[in-house]
Amino acid sequence: MQTLFTSLYSALISIFQSQRPADYGLYKTDLFSLVGWSTLGVSLLLVLAFYYVFNSALRTGLFRTPHWALTLALAAGLGVFLANSLSKGHGAEASSYLGYFMVVNMLVAALWFLLLSVLLKRWSTYARTTPFVGPF
Amino acid sequence: MPISVPVGVPAPRLFRRFRLAGLLFGAVSLLTACGSEPAETTAGKPAKSAKAPAEVPAAPEAAPLHVSIFLEYSGGMKGFVPRGGADKPATEFQQRIGALITETQVSGAVAGRKYYLCENAAPREIKFDQLRNLVQGNVAQAALGTELPQMLEGILNRKNAAQEVSVVISDFIYGPEDRSAFSQLPNLIRTAIAPVSRQQLAVAVFGETSHFYGSYFPAVKTPVQKRTLSGEKVPYYVWVIGPPAQVARYAAEVFRNAPAQQAFFGLKTSTPAFAPLLTKLTDPKLKSSGGTAYAENNGLTLNPSDDPVDFSVGLNLKELPTAWQQPAFLAQHLLVRLPNGQASLLPNSVRPLTDEEQSGQPVLAPYTHVLRLRVSKLAAPTATLTLSLPAPETPGWVAAWSTANDNTPAPRTFGLDQILTGVRQSYPTPLPAVFTVQLPLKNDK
Repeated sequence: MQTLFTSLYSALISIFQSQRPADYGLYKTDLFSLVGWSTLGVSLLLVLAFYYVFNSALRTGLFRTPHWALTLALAAGLGVFLANSLSKGHGAEASSYLGYFMVVNMLVAALWFLLLSVLLKRWSTYARTTPFVGPF
Repeated sequence: MPISVPVGVPAPRLFRRFRLAGLLFGAVSLLTACGSEPAETTAGKPAKSAKAPAEVPAAPEAAPLHVSIFLEYSGGMKGFVPRGGADKPATEFQQRIGALITETQVSGAVAGRKYYLCENAAPREIKFDQLRNLVQGNVAQAALGTELPQMLEGILNRKNAAQEVSVVISDFIYGPEDRSAFSQLPNLIRTAIAPVSRQQLAVAVFGETSHFYGSYFPAVKTPVQKRTLSGEKVPYYVWVIGPPAQVARYAAEVFRNAPAQQAFFGLKTSTPAFAPLLTKLTDPKLKSSGGTAYAENNGLTLNPSDDPVDFSVGLNLKELPTAWQQPAFLAQHLLVRLPNGQASLLPNSVRPLTDEEQSGQPVLAPYTHVLRLRVSKLAAPTATLTLSLPAPETPGWVAAWSTANDNTPAPRTFGLDQILTGVRQSYPTPLPAVFTVQLPLKNDK
């Protein structure tokens, strides 16, 4: 899984910047997998909260696509936040590489959220067609 | 009257409350995410500080030195230590040797010290005060003296000579009883210092000229057997013999104000602290440049295919003799090798670290010098970069200070080149490197 996160993130960041920073070793051994797991976990929690807390256990009426899009934005924002704070907390230096890592993690968090939404929405009581109907 | 009592809030208001809460939560999270210094980083900091000490290589504490100082005290040495007075300046010998024995007596780097006089074949142990008295000239009677090879042999054949530092102070004038022995001078020296060859001890030679007042006994006895000098300058030498790392340490930490004429044979330091400097640097000139370079598994991963990679490395060279710590010397002698690739030491890149840099940047603290390396080609997936300091051969001053006829006093010593040839022959050719450090490299594909 660590290799998966490492290749995923380094491939995506290399779209923006091919040169690796002097503390790339830290990204490779610690940060990619740590941030990868945290981002996946946070996206999953938000999907569960959206479909099963606010739109199954509670009947809040927050099932429309704008509500879903706001939660997606929240996931993306948390992706940026996690990449920044976890990296700095583990001693990464402020660099353009870290900046692109934050951008990439924003996209990754949004992608996880979209993917998990599609996978899990059909068991929701009130939001099974948010943001769209299907595919199953 | 309806009996039903409204329980809680009407449904539409409940919706609105949740909606508001959700929006607020989202907004607050987004705001914190954009903050440059989020509060949660403080929670991450203990992990960082706990990790930092592990990255700094722990410098092994060198064992304290055991030193024996031998002063040849024969008639020929008396002239170096004239009886002083307030109106008579001390000779160079008295200043230098006085400082050296004092430093040996008080230095924290020295755990045990003994002082000996070489008057005949067996050295005689004396107290520090007695030796200092001799150096300041408070002695009337000097012995006849012993021949140079016998003196060295007597010093090196002591039981612990191979484990400790022996310091020999003498004029190193060889005046044998049997004049035919001159032809064998290098071999005689080599035999006398056989333990140097067998146990690969190091020899450091320091030479200086000093004013001389009194009887001078040249090796070449014609036209005169002895002369009385009144202040002419003649040379004397300090030899430091012992295990290589200990000799290096004695020369660097105890004999700090050594004279300029120095020659080292078989000197080796313990492996110095060495690492590429990549992160946590505030000086932009120390940061790596060119292609990708990052630390991984105690080595360096880099990609020099597009651009040559330049990076700084730190070295702790405090064990080297002072003259060898000079950037010019290091730049000239340091050797970088990279099989299956191309690496070089960038010109003018060797420099000592200032105290300010060492204390200001924790990552620089273990090192005394920084230098910059360039890797311009790396053909194999992995390779090992080697940085070494090959030992310099006998320096040029030795020939200039040698003479075949010392009957007329001059700042030259009879057969010094032959004496040191004997020392040189105790070691393999080429001389073993003073130190070698290695850095595993990996190609970043």
